[in-house]
Amino acid sequence: MHLQEVIANAFGIPANDITDELEYQSIPEWDSVSHLVLVTELEAAYGITIEMEDVLTMGSVAKIKELLKKYHVEQVS
Amino acid sequence: MSLYEHIQQNKDLFFIDAQTGYAVPVRAFHQSLPIDNRQGLVFIYSDNGIGSIEVLLNFLNSQFTVVLLSTQLHPSFKQNLEALYTPYYIFDPGRVAAFGYNIVAASDSIQLLMRKVPAEYLIHSRIKLLLSTSGSTGSPKFVKLSNDNLVQNAWSILDYMPIKKTDVVPLNVPIVFVFGLSIFTTNCMAAGAILCTNKDILQPDFWTDFTKYNCSTIGGVPYVYEMLQRIGFFKKDHPGLRYMTQTGGILNQALRQEIVRYVTTYNKQFMVQYGQTEAAGRMAWLPQDQLLTKAASIGRPIKNGRFEIDAETSELIYYGPNVFGGYANSPADLSSWNETDKLYTGDVARQDEEGYYYITGRIKRIIKLFGSRLNLDEVELILKNALGGQTVVCTGINDKYLLVSHVNDQLEAEPIKQILKEKLNIHPTVVQVKFLPTMPLTPNGKIDYPALMLNIV
Repeated sequence: MHLQEVIANAFGIPANDITDELEYQSIPEWDSVSHLVLVTELEAAYGITIEMEDVLTMGSVAKIKELLKKYHVEQVS
Repeated sequence: MSLYEHIQQNKDLFFIDAQTGYAVPVRAFHQSLPIDNRQGLVFIYSDNGIGSIEVLLNFLNSQFTVVLLSTQLHPSFKQNLEALYTPYYIFDPGRVAAFGYNIVAASDSIQLLMRKVPAEYLIHSRIKLLLSTSGSTGSPKFVKLSNDNLVQNAWSILDYMPIKKTDVVPLNVPIVFVFGLSIFTTNCMAAGAILCTNKDILQPDFWTDFTKYNCSTIGGVPYVYEMLQRIGFFKKDHPGLRYMTQTGGILNQALRQEIVRYVTTYNKQFMVQYGQTEAAGRMAWLPQDQLLTKAASIGRPIKNGRFEIDAETSELIYYGPNVFGGYANSPADLSSWNETDKLYTGDVARQDEEGYYYITGRIKRIIKLFGSRLNLDEVELILKNALGGQTVVCTGINDKYLLVSHVNDQLEAEPIKQILKEKLNIHPTVVQVKFLPTMPLTPNGKIDYPALMLNIV
């Protein structure tokens, strides 16, 4: 699935609103609760297991993309 | 002596601004902001930053009654509350204007909104603080607390909490919640430094500060401990950390075992506690050695408090000097103070043969999602209003899900989830929507909640 859609699903906002610049806690929809939902949904969508330490590094959409490279996820974006 | 005077007596106390790294001694905040010498309400939308703390301390040391609110409250809820209570001052970091208010520069960094035409209504002299009964629904219902309530609550906590004069305490629990406020008041009275921060535990900056300032403690509701586990907090020692505190429900069995393993391995303390806003914070705590043997217990009453279990309903009743002076639903309710030491907790409980208490259910229509208290009647009202008056009934499932039942087969789940997300920031994944052919009613025509719950289970 397209990364934007995964993120949009986790936050419950339109996929168009997902930009690289979007940051943790910059919108009400991206709070600690939805952050952990996002972690779970990324794991399910790409069949990966995100390391504990990496959960903290996902502070923006750009950083999430960077992290997914580390997990060798080929995202369509 | 007032809470403020107790705090000022802790002369070596510092407040650290996580953003700049500056440490400010407590005396520097003494009358640091010019505020009018009169009675009135001040709305403090607090973000746990040092500005909020300076404003709070200044108003605690005044005749004003402080209303603590979350800065993240939906703007329309803020507006409604301000229209109803017409506060004399408003502090809301980042907000530059409000209708009917002048902006006043109270210091280089702090701006207050001051009402152009002050509202004149009587506030009972005992009412020092108003706390919301619900963090997010914007309900006008507040708990009235006195200076004495706050001090008594802090004393009862200081009786068992291992606070030291050298402790550095991060404000990671919002002080607009009574648990966060108790962390704030007790440590202001007895610890060494308070780390004022807007960062939360999922942000790397928080942990940089946690290590840099050698933080002594951390607090949270069960959900916070689940997050701590997810980010690997319990995998290694945090040398400065001496004790952790928890309220807001029962930890799941696996997590409790993980925490017991952690505190045993690294010689830490873990304090399970029980409380309510109506008790200015605390009613019970569980000694660490009972964490596994008395699993799921809320422990025993705090110093100067006691419990009783109603013979008929099994409702837990608390007695203590920290019990509040009644609710306020509008400014008219601020003229009175109902002096009592008795509190119906709304929780159903049992006591074991050794005197430990266990919560077995809830009488009040309240659930906790991610540790935040949610009044189901208020959620229902918000949904009904947004859906044009349709019948919707809200119930909770084990504090994990909010269930919305309705009788309209045309009504879809999506708009309901959307409203709850937009108005209350409830995550869609914890909302379940169920269509019922008929709504169970009691003989006198009210929603039959017990029948509804039975149906679901």
